[in-house]
Amino acid sequence: MINSNIDALGVIFPNSYDTLVPELVTERLMGSIPFASRYRLIDFVLSSMVNCGIDNISVVVRKNYHSLLDHLGSGREWDLTRKNGGLNIVPPFAENVVKIYNGRVEALANILAFLRGQKEKYVVMSDANIAMNFDFGDMIQKHIKSGADVTIAYTEEVLPEGAIASQNYSENLYYTLDIEDGFVKEINVCSKETGIQNFSMNIYVMEREFLIQEITKATVRGHVHFDLDVLIPQMDKLKIAAYKQEGYVARISDMKAYFDENMKLLNNDNLDALFSNPVYTKIRDDNPTRYIQGAKVKNVMAADGCIIEGEVENSVLFRGVKIGKGAKVKNCVLMQDTVIEDNASVEYVISDKKVHVTEGKKLKGTDTFPVFIAKRQTV
Amino acid sequence: MAKEMIAMLLAGGQGSRLYALTEKLAKPAVPFGGKYRIIDFPLSNCVNSGIDTVGILTQYQPLVLNEYIGNGQPWDLDRLYGGVHVLPPYQKASGSDWYKGTANAIYQNLSFIERYNPQYVIILSGDQICKQDYSDFLKFHKEKNAEFSVAVMEVPWDEASRFGLMVADENDKITEFQEKPKNPKSNLASMGIYIFNWDILKKYLIEDEENPESENDFGNNIIPNLLRDERRMYAYHFNGYWKDVGTISSLWEANMEVLDPEHSGINLFDNDWKIYSRNSGMTGHKIGQNAVVENSMITDGCRIEGNVKHSILFSGVQVEPGAEVEDAVVMGGTVIKAGAVVKHCIIAENVVIGENAVVGAMPTEDEKGVATIGSGVYIGENAKIGPNAMVNKNVKGGEEQ
Repeated sequence: MINSNIDALGVIFPNSYDTLVPELVTERLMGSIPFASRYRLIDFVLSSMVNCGIDNISVVVRKNYHSLLDHLGSGREWDLTRKNGGLNIVPPFAENVVKIYNGRVEALANILAFLRGQKEKYVVMSDANIAMNFDFGDMIQKHIKSGADVTIAYTEEVLPEGAIASQNYSENLYYTLDIEDGFVKEINVCSKETGIQNFSMNIYVMEREFLIQEITKATVRGHVHFDLDVLIPQMDKLKIAAYKQEGYVARISDMKAYFDENMKLLNNDNLDALFSNPVYTKIRDDNPTRYIQGAKVKNVMAADGCIIEGEVENSVLFRGVKIGKGAKVKNCVLMQDTVIEDNASVEYVISDKKVHVTEGKKLKGTDTFPVFIAKRQTV
Repeated sequence: MAKEMIAMLLAGGQGSRLYALTEKLAKPAVPFGGKYRIIDFPLSNCVNSGIDTVGILTQYQPLVLNEYIGNGQPWDLDRLYGGVHVLPPYQKASGSDWYKGTANAIYQNLSFIERYNPQYVIILSGDQICKQDYSDFLKFHKEKNAEFSVAVMEVPWDEASRFGLMVADENDKITEFQEKPKNPKSNLASMGIYIFNWDILKKYLIEDEENPESENDFGNNIIPNLLRDERRMYAYHFNGYWKDVGTISSLWEANMEVLDPEHSGINLFDNDWKIYSRNSGMTGHKIGQNAVVENSMITDGCRIEGNVKHSILFSGVQVEPGAEVEDAVVMGGTVIKAGAVVKHCIIAENVVIGENAVVGAMPTEDEKGVATIGSGVYIGENAKIGPNAMVNKNVKGGEEQ
């Protein structure tokens, strides 16, 4: 095929690390958490894949996926309504898996037959807990060049508190890499090392045949996790390359990180880095945002459909947010259709969708502990 | 399966009175209201009224419009049977012709309408800003057992002579039609929106085509012929917001009215009557640390660091620090550099206004002009563009126009 075809299919696991942000996933999953004024987290990995020519993408969901199905629809917004390939959403298959799967191996076992039937040579796998502008094409090229069996993407960063503090280890395993000359020598599980680490992004590239073969072997043995049960025991046999992601990365590892990563986008450099390639999302057909006489805004990112009459500072407003007269909003992340009525004041608040803060109410969190208001609640 | 009513949307007009704005695109494709194009209004009205088949008649500079319409998906008009179809003039076995007039445009596409065999055909115009429920109009047409109905607006008597007027009796039956008369007998102005019974439309179009003297125009030929034959013709009173945006000043005014829905009556914030458009796909807009934004509409992709007052900014507009924007309509992708002053004007897409340049001026007693900058134009540093200017070529730094 011509130029755009990259000969790889994508597999996304949008449920990974759900339990790191329990408040945000009561009615959704990691991939459908709203982020950056008009997106859901999965938009970033999906758009990154689409932008480099991957047009056969499977989203393997585990639970709480209604909001994601609603968001993705037929995949048209990502140009994934294709005759060949396109978007393929895979819910758990009751006959095959008695319990909901816990790890990548179990999830992949669920789509083995599908994987066997595809024609792409390579597979890229990713979670959806990172907002990023990722160059899958470059990673695949480097993978091919290195001659490795598997390539893992990583960032150099200090391990986030949220990941380390997570008590629910079996669901929230995370990995750091010891790297020599571009190849992984050791994969460490749930390291507590301080300082800058090679933090795995759980993005992998490998040949489809290799994946099928490994998953088949692992399933027979009842294995669950890809790194823990497939890669680590075979460290001496497999050639695992490391791919360093240099670009902008917003990893959601707890509520605090969710808040901070939204706030970081108020810096134009970060915004430009994250959106240097288009990021697609579901269209809502809102009208432009209206700033009514008396509105005062400073350092704000806002999506369409907002009506602003009050004061807003250092905040991220999602689609359809309404800020009443005399209301004060400072250091807040207000998701879709939040209403802050007249003279109410909110500071360091994260409001989920359709939250209503009634007239004159005052709410205040702190920079290390923003107040969270759950979906559809009225204050 | 026959459709009850299909729409034919006249979108071939050049819109010559919009000058620089319609140099490269047809009038219906002119951007409006922050994220729309004019044609979004009739198209959204169709969908919201339950019309799922629309033929768009194009002729003048159709490229932008064609690409914008695409398969019609943003308006939910990508249908297996029906949907939106762009209909340019085409060559036939017996020769080919440009569309000679509004009636001829429909005449040349009779076979398109025939495919759907509708009972009614609504003729729409692609140059009006209006939210209208065409199903109410059709209900009226049926109740009156009409063969032809026209939507009319009451206009002030002293302006009536600028319009095509329908003189109607107490039952709304049309008795006379006056095209821009000196002595108006009525103040019911035709909005250029008609519902025809399909058999009547077909009969009169064929008849009109056979007359070599005819201008092939609905207003000048078809309606007078219907009157001559005493057809059942009715006037449907519409009293919502309606604006013909055929001139620079009316286009500017209509945009400004969007900022004041409480008084002007054009409310884009209506969840029950959404106006759909093809999306820019840009990220949320960003208001900077030292920006001042007052009474404005701002959409996705904008970056505001300067002062914006009573203006409409389309997707991806950048206003740099110290720049001043007031009473302005600034279309997509335009950059207003630091210190530039932009007032009381329309700036088309992808324009660059250089540092400290001045475009337009607030209106005074004897100078109320709306400065207009055509798309893709570069206005150099310190250049000065007067309030009546119509700029469609680059302006060098320091120059005055």
